[in-house]
Amino acid sequence: MPDLFRSTGFRWALGIAAWTTVMALTMFAFVYWQTADFMREELAETLRLEVRAAAAQPAAATERVETWIAMDRHATHYAGLFGPDGTRHAGNLVALPAALPRDGDAARVDAVLDLSQGRVDDAIWAAALALPDGGTVVIAHDTDEIDRVRTTTLRALGLGLVPILVLSGLGGLVLAGRARRRLATTEVAVAEVMRGDLGRRLPVGRANDEFDRLAGTVNRMLDEIEHLVHEVQSVGDAVAHDLRTPLTRLRARLERSREQATSVAELHAAIDQGLAWIDQTLAMITAVLRIGEIEHGRRRAGFAPVDLGEVVREAAEFFEPVAEDKAVALALAVDSGLPPVEGDRDLLFEAVSNLIDNAVKFTPAGGTVRVEFAASEAGRAVVVSDTGPGIPEAERAQVFRRFYRAEPARHTPGHGLGLGLVAAIARMHGFSVAADAAPGGGARFTLVCPAGPSRRT
Amino acid sequence: MAKLLLIEDDAETATELLGDLRGRGYAVDWVATGPEGAARARAEPWDAIILDRMLPGLDGLSLLRDLRGAGDRTPALVLSALGDVDERIRGLRAGGDDYLAKPFVLAELAARIEALLRRPADTRETLLRVGDLEIDLIAGTGRRGARDLDLLPRELKLLEYLMRRPGQVITRALLFEEVWNYRFTPKSNLIDVHLGRLRRKLEAEGEAPLIHNVRGIGFALMPDA
Repeated sequence: MPDLFRSTGFRWALGIAAWTTVMALTMFAFVYWQTADFMREELAETLRLEVRAAAAQPAAATERVETWIAMDRHATHYAGLFGPDGTRHAGNLVALPAALPRDGDAARVDAVLDLSQGRVDDAIWAAALALPDGGTVVIAHDTDEIDRVRTTTLRALGLGLVPILVLSGLGGLVLAGRARRRLATTEVAVAEVMRGDLGRRLPVGRANDEFDRLAGTVNRMLDEIEHLVHEVQSVGDAVAHDLRTPLTRLRARLERSREQATSVAELHAAIDQGLAWIDQTLAMITAVLRIGEIEHGRRRAGFAPVDLGEVVREAAEFFEPVAEDKAVALALAVDSGLPPVEGDRDLLFEAVSNLIDNAVKFTPAGGTVRVEFAASEAGRAVVVSDTGPGIPEAERAQVFRRFYRAEPARHTPGHGLGLGLVAAIARMHGFSVAADAAPGGGARFTLVCPAGPSRRT
Repeated sequence: MAKLLLIEDDAETATELLGDLRGRGYAVDWVATGPEGAARARAEPWDAIILDRMLPGLDGLSLLRDLRGAGDRTPALVLSALGDVDERIRGLRAGGDDYLAKPFVLAELAARIEALLRRPADTRETLLRVGDLEIDLIAGTGRRGARDLDLLPRELKLLEYLMRRPGQVITRALLFEEVWNYRFTPKSNLIDVHLGRLRRKLEAEGEAPLIHNVRGIGFALMPDA
C-alpha cells in the first residue's frame, strides 16, 4: 500500500476524485439554492395574490380568510382578520405578528397559532395588508413544507455524494492499477534490454495514447541503438580483418626475407615494402580514429565562416592533374558570391576531395567528372557526378557506412572509409549527403548545406 | 652542429628518435620529465626543442607556455599521440612552431626540424633565384635560363616555397600544409602528381634536373652542383 501512494497513477486518481467531489458539491449547492429559492418565491407569490384579493374586498375579507384556511386540511394555511385595535375578527392567528410589515409582501415571521390541538408557536410565511377601516388582513402559510423539501434535497444530495466518491475512488484505483501494470511490463522489458537483450522492445498498445507513443519512441531509440551497436561490432570486425591482411602479408615477407635474402639490397627492398604496408595500415587506423573523432563533434571548436565555393574550387584544382593523367575531364562550375557556410575549412575540403577522389577513381578514361556548387531550393549544394559505372540503387544508402564497398569498388584500392568520413563530416556540420544516379548513368553525390543556419544546435 | 633538446617520457620512442637524429648529425640531449625539461630548456641555449604533449610532472603545453612567457623564442616542435586535430591548434597556440601527431615517419620529423632550423631569412624578397631558375612573384612569371616558364598560380606558390628553402628536404605533408594551406593527410601520390607536372615544366629536354625526389620522404629543390 505505501507503494501505491508513491505511484504517480494513484496520486493522479486521488486528485481526480477530489476534483470530482468539489465539482459535484458546487453543483449540488447551486441546485439546492435554486430549488429552495424557487419554492419560496412560489409561495410568496401565492400569499401576495391572496392578501391582495382579501384586501380588495373588505366586506368579503372574513369569508376569504376562512376559505383560505379551509382550503387545506393539513393545517398549513393560516390567516387572520384584525380590527384597528388589533382584536381578532376571524382566522386562526391569535394576534397580528408584530414584525410583519403591512405592505402586502411575504415575510418569514414568528406567530402564535390557534389550532385544533391548542395554541402553537411556529414560524410562518405571511403577507399583510391594511384595510380601509384601519384593520389588517393576514394570509400565511406553514414553513415546514419548504423546510422539509430543503432537508430532503440536502439529504438526497449528500447521499448522492457517497456513490460519486466511491465511484471516482474506484475509477482512480482502476486507472492507477492499469498504469502500474503497463509500467510494470515496460519495466520488465527495459530490464531485459539492460541485461543485454537489445532485440527486446517495449509493449505498444493499440490506443495510440501517450504511453503508446512514448513506448514507440523508446522502441525507435532502441532500434537506433541496436543498429549502432551492430555497426560498431561490424566496424570492429572489419578493422580487425583489414588489419590482419596487411600484417599477415608483412609477417610473411619479413620471415621470407630473413631466410632468403642474400644481399643488403634485397633486405632494403623487403623493409621498404614492409614500411609501405605499415603506412597503409596506419592510414586506415587514422581514418577510423578520425571518423570517431569527427562523430563525437569534438572539432566544432574550429568552426568559422567558410567560403565553400572557394573550397570546392581548390579541391577540384587539387585533383586536376590526377584526372588529366587518367584522361578524365574535370568540369568545374562554381556559383561564386554565395554566402559563406559555418564550418571547418579543413574538414570541408577533405569531404569534397573525398567525393572528387572517388569520382575520378571510378571514371574510366575518356569520362567526365563534374563538380558543381550552386544554390538550390534546399540550400547550397555541392554536386559531384561522374560517368563511371554508378552505384546500384539498393546500395546507395549503404555506401556511407564505414568499410562498405559497393560491388564495382571491390577491386579498386582503398579502405572503404572515404565516404564514411564524408558522411561523418556532413553530419557534424548539419549538412545532408546523398547518392543517386547521374543523368548519364554514373554516380552522383550531393552535399547540401541547408538554407537556414548551418550549425547544428 | 645544431643542438636539440628532446623532452619525451617514453624511453623506447626517445631511443629511436635519438638514434635517428644523431645519425643525421644533430647533437641531441634527452630528458624524460616535464620539470627536468623546463630546467634544461632554461639552463642553456638550444637550436630547437622537441617535446611530447603529455609529460609526467609538467604538461608539455604548460612547459611551452612558461617558456614563451619568459621570452624564450627557441623553435619548438610538439609531438603528440592525441589524434584529436584540435590538439594541433592547442599546441600551436601554446607557442609551438610545428606539431606532429604520432605515429609519424622519422624522416618527417627530421624534415620538420630542418624546416624549423632553416627558416627563410627574408620572406619579403619577391625576386627569387636558384641556379638558373628565377621567379618574379609580383609579375607572376618564371624563367629558366633564357626560357620563359608558363606557370599556374599554384605552381608559382609551390616553386616559391621550394626556392625559399633550396637544398632542404620538404615532405609531402609539409608542402600540402604550406602551399595548399589545408591540414590533413592527402594521398601521397596527389602531391607527387603536382610536383611531376611542375617538374616537366622546369626541366625541358636536355636541362639538368632541379627538383629531386627524396626517396620515401619528399622533395628537394637543388641546382646541379
